[in-house]
Amino acid sequence: MKIEDRLSLLNYKTDKSYEHITINPSICETCPDHFCTFACPAKCYSLIEEKLNFKYEDCVECGTCDVACSHGSVAWNNTKGGHGVKYKYG
Amino acid sequence: MSEFDVIVVGAGPAGASAAIKLAGSGSSVLLVERGDPPGSKNVSGGVLWGDSLGSVAPDWEKSAPMERYVEAKGVSFLTRDSKISIDFRSKKLQERRSGYTVLRTKLDGWLSKKAKDAGAMVASGITVDKLAFKDERVIGIEQDGDIITSDIVILAEGANPRVAINSGIRDRLKDRDVAIGVKEIIKLPEKTINERFNLTSSKMGFASEYVLGFLEGGVKAGGFIYTNKESISLGLVISMKEMRENNNTRSFDLIEQFKEHPYIAPLIEGGRVDEYSAHMVQEGGLKSVPQLYGNGFMVVGDGAGFSFSNGMVLQGMNYAIASGIAAAESAIKAKIKSNFTKDGLSSYEERLKSSFVLQDLMNFKGIEEVTWSDMIHRGIPNMTEELFLSLFSENGQPKAHMINLLIRAMGHSDVPRKDMVINMYRMLRRM
Amino acid sequence: MGSNTNTGDFLVLEIIVMIKQVPDSQEVVIDPVTFTLNRGAARNVINPADENAIEAALRIKDKTNAHVTVITMGPPFAESALIDCMSRGVDDAVLVTDRAFAGADTYPTGLTLASTIKKLGKYDIIFAGEESTDSSTGHVGPGVAEFLGTDQASYTSESWYEDGFVYAKRELEDGTEVVKMKPPTLITVLTNANDPRRATLRKKIDAMKKGIKTMTLADLGMPPEWVGLRGSPTVVKSMRTIDEKKREGKKFKIEEIPKLVDELIEKKIISI
Repeated sequence: MKIEDRLSLLNYKTDKSYEHITINPSICETCPDHFCTFACPAKCYSLIEEKLNFKYEDCVECGTCDVACSHGSVAWNNTKGGHGVKYKYG
Repeated sequence: MSEFDVIVVGAGPAGASAAIKLAGSGSSVLLVERGDPPGSKNVSGGVLWGDSLGSVAPDWEKSAPMERYVEAKGVSFLTRDSKISIDFRSKKLQERRSGYTVLRTKLDGWLSKKAKDAGAMVASGITVDKLAFKDERVIGIEQDGDIITSDIVILAEGANPRVAINSGIRDRLKDRDVAIGVKEIIKLPEKTINERFNLTSSKMGFASEYVLGFLEGGVKAGGFIYTNKESISLGLVISMKEMRENNNTRSFDLIEQFKEHPYIAPLIEGGRVDEYSAHMVQEGGLKSVPQLYGNGFMVVGDGAGFSFSNGMVLQGMNYAIASGIAAAESAIKAKIKSNFTKDGLSSYEERLKSSFVLQDLMNFKGIEEVTWSDMIHRGIPNMTEELFLSLFSENGQPKAHMINLLIRAMGHSDVPRKDMVINMYRMLRRM
Repeated sequence: MGSNTNTGDFLVLEIIVMIKQVPDSQEVVIDPVTFTLNRGAARNVINPADENAIEAALRIKDKTNAHVTVITMGPPFAESALIDCMSRGVDDAVLVTDRAFAGADTYPTGLTLASTIKKLGKYDIIFAGEESTDSSTGHVGPGVAEFLGTDQASYTSESWYEDGFVYAKRELEDGTEVVKMKPPTLITVLTNANDPRRATLRKKIDAMKKGIKTMTLADLGMPPEWVGLRGSPTVVKSMRTIDEKKREGKKFKIEEIPKLVDELIEKKIISI
């Protein structure tokens, strides 16, 4: 099962006015490892034509990327007001 | 005069238990949860071991939404072609108390309702920004520019403690503190589960941990399978350190390899994946425990690093509940003495030290070095596989003595014989 | 949109918002055997368009001396949706609940809500979501306007109050129009018309302390045969699901756009 198919099973209430995680593209540009693309279990981080692409909409709010990024690019906050992932079972 | 006696941040098992205990004793409690409804952000393996819920709700075994009682507990080593298992089943396990498999949206929803019934004010769908301080003392919490005051704040944020980090009372998490956990809920009919796992009834369940030494690139991970009423919780835990050192596998791909193993695939065949989830797991042991209390605050549950794993069991929720109760008791004591300073809350640490929460962490200091060792993941499984292959196959040759087989099998373990012996001794001591 | 000072006929503008709790559409699943919607598996949420209606009301309150009341007809557990609305800035909440209301279609629902609004007293603007995700009829809002005999503006993306008049911007197929109405009036708000504000803890605490009001059939003084299933003219004869047709998908690179246009013309999808 592809990660995209697994993520499509999830219920998200996407916050259109607030991105709870932001990255600093100038840090990511020179990043030697892009460990986030391996660590993030929701594939929010991917390399597209060697450029780091990040999408907060698929985030399951585990916090892994904040620990994984050792270069200080990730600014991690909680989602607000009941937004974000909404597990059925957990 | 504060608006509340206690504000609890986070309505997981730790926070909700603290709120229930406090509200039940007459304290005014505000329980704030960012998920809406409570539980919808929470994930665990999960088996709730022991009877810690008893101090929250004496009738919990009847009223709480448990899935199945663990009557069968397994530990398995998986190599590419083999599965070496302990499958422990005992009528006595029922009397001794094992645990129940749970689904967190149900359990946490129930706990929140208990808190509300006990008199706590439960505000869900609200994200607390940080602690509010005055004169180096916590006076409440800050949310969207407003300050809500309380004598004590109990932080029960879980494995990703943003409020504590944002408030400067703990460091950001490091590699050594956490593992990445991913999990799937696989739907299967109740009867099929009973049959596949040899369960005596639909109330009885199976829980097993797996040492996964066969994954691509040699990455080490631990797997788990727990049976719920009509689904299976199947997942995998991999330490951040291990991930970083093997920067070639993706966390979300590993679970597929586990599912495709020749002796796992038949267990979930025909099942429909109904949910995928991911969560950090506290893995750092005692050295990951942050400051547990200070002027006007206490930290409980996963957010305090309280969990236990020795490769054979994986526990967290029982530590969460016990620490939540301990914090509540300390808060009640502090209220009587009207002393909410660090000194006034110091009984919290004493309570933890005299209970299994901190004792387990102290007694099993350094266990994570064993659970993530080459020895556990490759040495023992490969050696045992070779030993059993020699013992259980018949090729018409004269049979060798066990000790010779063992020595020969050690050669297949990927770990030098000398290291094997030293490691085995260390491991037994630590466990 | 002009800045607003309350110079009109009103001391306090009375705004009513009608909301409905619906099963979360992301969690409603189609039963693989019977092909019917299984709503039981889904948790309840505020109907998305109603969140936009709440926001539309609160935006008027931000600029005018207004008092906002949210009302819903539903089971007792709909209280959580009302508390949520109050946590965003709504002043009061009324839950209209009675076993007699069960099984109502859009006709008695509109009638019951209209009776509730009359019972509450003065009303200047009534907001509702354009339609609910669980039945998508879009009847209830306009129905209430008819029962109350007020003006109405549907399909609105924006509305404001100025010098005694209510203005609403309607999104139509061939463009937009702004209508100017004298209160009382009813406005239905499109899904995604605005970005609903979030609840705050302070307001949530206040909401939980204040609580909601409850009204029953007896409070409304309506004859029982007017409400619920008995008052519903709709009869569902049968239901069927329609198989989704697989759409043809094709990728074109930017330099192939002329080719794409040719193909679309060839397939009579577009014409020049």
